[in-house]
Amino acid sequence: MDDFICPRCKTSKFQNPSLKMMVNVCGHGLCESCVDLLFLKGSGACPDCRIPLRRNNFRVQLFEDPVIEKEVDIRKRVLRDFNKKEEDFSSLREYNDYLEEIETIIYNLTNDVDIVETNKKIEQYKRENRDFIIKNKSKIGREEYELEEILEIEKQQEELRKNVIKQEEVNAKKKKIQQKEALIDELMFSNANAKNILETFAQNVEEEKNREEVEVAKLPNKMTQFSTGVQFGRASQSIQYLPVKLDEGPLYSYKSVTITTDGPQPPTMDEVLNKGYTRHVRSETEQEMAGGYKANIACMRALQDALAGLFHVKKVNT
Amino acid sequence: MFPTSTQCKYWMFSSEEELNQLREKTNTKHIQAYGKNVPEANRYDYFLTPVEESLMAKRYELFLRDFCKGFSPPMPRNVTGTAFHYFKRFYVNNSVMNYHPKEIMVTCVYLACKVEEFNVSIGQFVSNIKGDREKASDIILNNELLLMEQLNYHLAIHNPFRPVEGLIIDIKTRCQSLNDPERLRPGIDQLLDKVFLTDAILLYSPSQMALAAILHAASKLQENLDSYVTDTLFGVDGRGKLEELIEAVRGIRSMVKMADVNPDKNQMKLIEKKLEKCRNPDNNPDSEIYKKRMQALLDDEDEVYNQIMNSNTELDNSTLNMQAL
Repeated sequence: MDDFICPRCKTSKFQNPSLKMMVNVCGHGLCESCVDLLFLKGSGACPDCRIPLRRNNFRVQLFEDPVIEKEVDIRKRVLRDFNKKEEDFSSLREYNDYLEEIETIIYNLTNDVDIVETNKKIEQYKRENRDFIIKNKSKIGREEYELEEILEIEKQQEELRKNVIKQEEVNAKKKKIQQKEALIDELMFSNANAKNILETFAQNVEEEKNREEVEVAKLPNKMTQFSTGVQFGRASQSIQYLPVKLDEGPLYSYKSVTITTDGPQPPTMDEVLNKGYTRHVRSETEQEMAGGYKANIACMRALQDALAGLFHVKKVNT
Repeated sequence: MFPTSTQCKYWMFSSEEELNQLREKTNTKHIQAYGKNVPEANRYDYFLTPVEESLMAKRYELFLRDFCKGFSPPMPRNVTGTAFHYFKRFYVNNSVMNYHPKEIMVTCVYLACKVEEFNVSIGQFVSNIKGDREKASDIILNNELLLMEQLNYHLAIHNPFRPVEGLIIDIKTRCQSLNDPERLRPGIDQLLDKVFLTDAILLYSPSQMALAAILHAASKLQENLDSYVTDTLFGVDGRGKLEELIEAVRGIRSMVKMADVNPDKNQMKLIEKKLEKCRNPDNNPDSEIYKKRMQALLDDEDEVYNQIMNSNTELDNSTLNMQAL
């Protein structure tokens, strides 16, 4: 990439180390300052092939050969519509034919072979598979979203891990200093032999170190628990359902409701309707009927409430 | 259905004596808890007696009735009825000295509004209260959970109003001998208004109260519904239960008669003053202790946690600096 030269202003990477090559859909390169100059108005023609271009379609050239850039562009555009997957075909043979067709289209477009014919083919495919394309697009969008989510989670975990390590370092420092201080205190105020004290402290420090090593050894374990493999596994499955819990036990058997009225038996719904009870309640309006309300329901309820509990006996408390 | 309700299961009592015993027990419990320093002999000089407590509760029941009557927007009767139930239930197990009935009363009405689906906001509600409204809404909202807890979350109340409607429909349908049963209404309302001031609502089922109200109204109009009750209503399957019902109706009507006695105003003032002195400062929103407690609750727990953290790190760092020197 070092011997890049802008075809227009002939500036090379050697002359200007910050030179940035840009490329557009036609595959002809230009340096950044030339792009700024030529496409001041936002659009213009390519100096090489005179194809009208838009300025915001320029991007940094990644490959040495600008034709590859062009191909990448075309591939991206074509694959946006030709987005079928292997599982959408009944046999591997068909899928391979389909891939072959895509490659032909891309090749034709990149090398300017039968452009009109190929574009017609694409249009036709688009028309025939419109529903399918939209469906697959949304599916892919979802997958991308999941991937992003995973990346975000990973980033957070990384952050967390860094913080933990930092915290540990500070703690270790503090501990060391505290130990030292304790040793000096001991040496100053204790009556025991200085040599003995030193020895016991050295021993303590050694033990501490061993313990820490065990802890450190434990840490990576914790990391593998969050390993990305698990996360990717979740994303690769198209849709995950919660496991359905099966109720195991005796089958439900219907028992008719027993109503304890603790009073005289209220009339049945038939009696309410036929014995003239409803004559004495306001009949329902049209709007109320729309909501499913019927006057006989309210009438029934009032009667039931009136009779329930009439036999109530004050309970004798213990 | 009333017979399967919590009202029937937990909040129906056997007699007025039982209720009074429970209230006395509540009274002594309160005094034992808060009156350790008061000598046994003259503890009632300082604390309220059970009688004084029930007089206080009665007085605030009257306030509750008037408050609900004057409420705007006008309140359905079942809200008032439910509020009465809550108020009475609350003071079976709680002392007037512990929680002032003034506060519990409005809280009962507020909760009843919610339960009976009478939709008023707290702002609308306190606009019916004279005095400091912000303080009132604070008190109500603070007490609401306490009230529900003391009611054991038994919030569904069976009022006698629907049974009255049911019985009137039944009379219109099955008892043609009485002409124009609608005439009974004023008499019914009169009894139902008063029955909530008595303990009858804790002793009798709502349908019994409804029947008592109808019989009371009929007797005022010199009508006789006895044959309707004995033959039509109770019929064959209720033969054996009739006596109990007659007893209940008689009991309700005599309790309502007793409710007419108005308490002596001067005596009430004295009791109010006494209560002001002996009420539990923990639950008095005007007391210092209460204010402090509320403030402490407001202070964020995080803040306390942060303080501890900061002091710890400071301590650590000071030892480190000493070493560095």
